[in-house]
Amino acid sequence: MQIINDLNLKKQARDLGVKIWQTPGFMFIMLGMIAVVIMTAVFLISQNYNDPEILVLAESFVVVVILIVGNSVITMVTQVTKLNRMKSEFVSVASHQLRTPLSAIKWETELLLSKCRRRVVGDKQRQSIENINTLSIKMTHLINDLLDVARIDQHRLIIKKIPTDIIAVAKDSIKEAQSLAKKRHIELALSAPRKLPAVLADPEKLQMVVENLLNNSIKYTTNHGKIELKLTKKDALVIFNIKDSGVGIPTEQQERIFDKFFRSDNIAKYQTEGTGLGLYIAKNIIEQMGGRIWFESVENLGSIFSFSVPIAKQKD
Amino acid sequence: MTKILIVEDELTLNKALEEFLVEEKFEVFSAFDGEEGIRLAKEKKPDLILLDIILPKKDGFEVLDYLKLDKKTQKIPVLLLTNLESAEDIEKAFNKGATTYLVKANYRLEDIVKKIKETLKCA
Repeated sequence: MQIINDLNLKKQARDLGVKIWQTPGFMFIMLGMIAVVIMTAVFLISQNYNDPEILVLAESFVVVVILIVGNSVITMVTQVTKLNRMKSEFVSVASHQLRTPLSAIKWETELLLSKCRRRVVGDKQRQSIENINTLSIKMTHLINDLLDVARIDQHRLIIKKIPTDIIAVAKDSIKEAQSLAKKRHIELALSAPRKLPAVLADPEKLQMVVENLLNNSIKYTTNHGKIELKLTKKDALVIFNIKDSGVGIPTEQQERIFDKFFRSDNIAKYQTEGTGLGLYIAKNIIEQMGGRIWFESVENLGSIFSFSVPIAKQKD
Repeated sequence: MTKILIVEDELTLNKALEEFLVEEKFEVFSAFDGEEGIRLAKEKKPDLILLDIILPKKDGFEVLDYLKLDKKTQKIPVLLLTNLESAEDIEKAFNKGATTYLVKANYRLEDIVKKIKETLKCA
């Protein structure tokens, strides 16, 4: 399977952002073909000539060609990795720099708002300031997501593993998502056993994942529906399901749903907002905690997103 | 009145914090670089310090070292307020004796005041 995957040049080219003939896979196939051709040539030469000098010459020629091609493959691979690293580094530096002015905008608007509450200001003005505030919060989220992606790509995303009350995390996430749900007339319902053992997780990151899944469900539910959150214990895992009656994901696009920046066609149509980073980050967080994330979805009927997290071993 | 020292080089951030804290009835001192921060900490004996990490002259970690070495200032709780949030930075901050670590972009002024009040209650 892995070999077939490695030979999927189109995908490789897309993932690396290079032309097909520049992918390492293509280069290796070329290298193999050149080796075969040259070997055959050497074989034919050795059949017709008995002179050892010609054989040695032919052999050296083979070695030189393989060295040259091999070297260009290595250069290519190094270049691609270097470019990728530079890209992630750029994202993390830029995001850090962006956060300072953004914090300033956020705090200044908050200051303005707190003053507005005390003195008389027109409703329109207050509304504008509130809009600026909401927008700067959204932008902060976006930059935080970009930073997380850069960290994931550089293998620097640190996930704590501490005993965590997953029911509390679920309740907090519902509280955070409640206002958006109300606006869209969607009911959020949690069902969980009265007691669940603590899971081994990073509470903040776990809440980020749950809020992200929940926000997706709310955003992509167009009818006045209900979203059900369910917690169950299964062996050494706790399973978290989030079921919605939203727009669902088209079957042919389901395999790419956890890809970076991927957004399915139908949601891009319903909702212009969104970056396609949420599920990519969620998958990385859950897998780093030792869990798994998956989904079932039927277009126009809804989706169930699920993930598992390991239960913390109890101290005796 | 509770005294708070802000060490932050970004003028807008420093002023926004100061204004909000003054409205919340704190007495506020502002420093714009690490050295000024250390000097004001010794002089004004604040009840709490809000400290940025990337600062001119002396950075936040160096300031923290000075504050924790000096008997006059070592007991003052220090809240780091920064936009750096790598695991190494956070760990370094706590090892050097910071009380809390807050990422600016993720906190509203209101939340920062809440954290200040919590920390003062615990101290």
